[in-house]
Amino acid sequence: MRLLLAEDQVELADELVANLKRNGYAVDWLADGRDVDYQGMCEPYDLIVLDLGLPGKSGLEVLTGWREHGLTTPVLILTARSSWAERIEGLKAGADDYLTKPFHPEELLLRVQALLRRANGLANRSLLEAGGLALDESQQICLYKGKEVVLTAGEFRLLRYFMLHPGQILSKLQLTEHLYDGETERDSNVIEVHINRLRGKFGRQVIETRRGLGYRFTGVMS
Amino acid sequence: MKSIRRRVTLSLVGSLLIVGFGLLQTSLWLFEAGLKDTLRGYLQAEAEGLLIAMVRGPNGVQLDASRINPRYQHAFSGSYFRISLPDRTWRSRSLWDSLPDWPEKPGLGSDLLDGPQHQRLITYRGEYRRGNLLVNIDVAQNYTPILDSFNQVRLGSLGLVAAALLILLFLQGYAMKSALRPLEQARRQIAQLQHGKRRLLDDETPEELQPLVKQINHLLTHTEATLKRSRHALGNLGHALKTPLAVLNNLILHDEIARHPDLQANLREQLTHIEKRVSLELGRARLAAEVLPGTYFECDEELPALFKTLSMIHGQALDLSWQAHTGCHLPRDREDMLELLGNLLDNACKWAKSKVMLEISQTSDNCRILIDDDGPGIAPELREQAMNRGTRLDERPAGHGLGMDIVNDIVNAWHGTWILEKSPLGGLRVRLELPFRQLEN
Repeated sequence: MRLLLAEDQVELADELVANLKRNGYAVDWLADGRDVDYQGMCEPYDLIVLDLGLPGKSGLEVLTGWREHGLTTPVLILTARSSWAERIEGLKAGADDYLTKPFHPEELLLRVQALLRRANGLANRSLLEAGGLALDESQQICLYKGKEVVLTAGEFRLLRYFMLHPGQILSKLQLTEHLYDGETERDSNVIEVHINRLRGKFGRQVIETRRGLGYRFTGVMS
Repeated sequence: MKSIRRRVTLSLVGSLLIVGFGLLQTSLWLFEAGLKDTLRGYLQAEAEGLLIAMVRGPNGVQLDASRINPRYQHAFSGSYFRISLPDRTWRSRSLWDSLPDWPEKPGLGSDLLDGPQHQRLITYRGEYRRGNLLVNIDVAQNYTPILDSFNQVRLGSLGLVAAALLILLFLQGYAMKSALRPLEQARRQIAQLQHGKRRLLDDETPEELQPLVKQINHLLTHTEATLKRSRHALGNLGHALKTPLAVLNNLILHDEIARHPDLQANLREQLTHIEKRVSLELGRARLAAEVLPGTYFECDEELPALFKTLSMIHGQALDLSWQAHTGCHLPRDREDMLELLGNLLDNACKWAKSKVMLEISQTSDNCRILIDDDGPGIAPELREQAMNRGTRLDERPAGHGLGMDIVNDIVNAWHGTWILEKSPLGGLRVRLELPFRQLEN
């Protein structure tokens, strides 16, 4: 899952980036509203965390612009402006959720998690369930046939992405774009390695290879 | 309250009466003076005629009856004389038996005399010398008919003044009404302002009212701008305070601090305290309450957005519905109203199992808001406490929502009341009664 964090306060941004990365998200961080506006439009983010008080261009303006250009990426607004009137304004501009500062870090993670599931049409339960697997996102472990399977960070990220898009054909390019932030060097072999490891843990059929197209999460046979 | 109309009417009637009477009296006085002057000439001529009628007869000086005007012969005819010689006196026959108190000074008598048959007499005394004889001739004329006609004139004129007064009052009333119409219009517009039916007063007023209307409009826009500015500044202040708090909230989770659980708990508690305080005070400071008369809350416009927000926050599973008559229009500040409803509905959503309902009904002088949920409700003895009434923030057990404080503040600022009841849906019902501003009376 690749996230864009738009937050101008460096200390808070540092904390949030570290926290989100710990939870297996690829995070790009920008502080200027104009950069955010541009990058949000051209990079394929899965979710955008947007602070409203950005220098350069206000968060609300940026968001309104995105929605006018047809960008449907879920947006979570992060702001100190907590009045209901402002909240409504934010949601009217096209936000999908609203979190007021100060907040607890877990709260942000839960909101991000819920928003990603909602955006992919999945129910918001404590575990992410798809194709016979259940993923505990907070502990980064997977429940398979009643057993807890421990995952590495790379495996966790990949499995989560597959489980959020069950039955869809995902190209290697798409996977690298959504699993790594803008600064990580992309090596498509790493994806293959992780897929093989996942197959090793859950059986070969869990991820199907469509030659020339990409991969498809089919789930484990029950 | 002093009425301009009454005051103007009073001064008009007063001045009209003074001028009317003054004018009437002066003209009568001038006319009488002229008349008396003429009468003096006439009476002098009469006296001289009588002097001529004195002839020297066989027994000395005597009065030649043929030369005397016959009027002096008829009893009480209105023309009288008395001729005084040193040794005798002649009185006209017309005097009959009355003895008027003839004046001593020559010329026109300064006062009127009482004559026979209640006549009032004007007198003239002429002093003549005939040979070596000193002759005083007093002539008198009945003045009563003139007095009567004067009185008639005075009465008639009074009638005229009264009629003029009535007509003027009527005309003035009409003029006043049309002159005060702009004021009346301004008054009505201010009432509309109170009801939130307009934001500014009409600029199209007479010159005299322009400064007032302009000043009011200026004040309104100024207040609105000030409110907006201060809200914006509060937003910025909130941003400036809350972002570092968010950072601190993150920092205390770091391993270095997590190794000291006591310290971490302490820090967390203090941070929560600051956070609550900041939110509460900033929320309070944002309230417009009754600062701005020209604002209103348009239910049809605002409620759908509010409910969309709520269902976004609390998920689609809840059945949220609202009911208000079409064109529902509450004369309250939009942001305050949103804050009030937002907090109460948010709270209801948190507790509800499946259903939250909002109902707004409006009468001419008050607005009733009911918020129902089908949650667990609150036991009657705990309701007062749940509303956080009368307790201070630092006296309150931890974990109480700030929302209720803001609700309390808003309701108090609007002079409204709110109570918690059992809802027909099974959970809690919040009943709000907000009286409308009554400023027209």
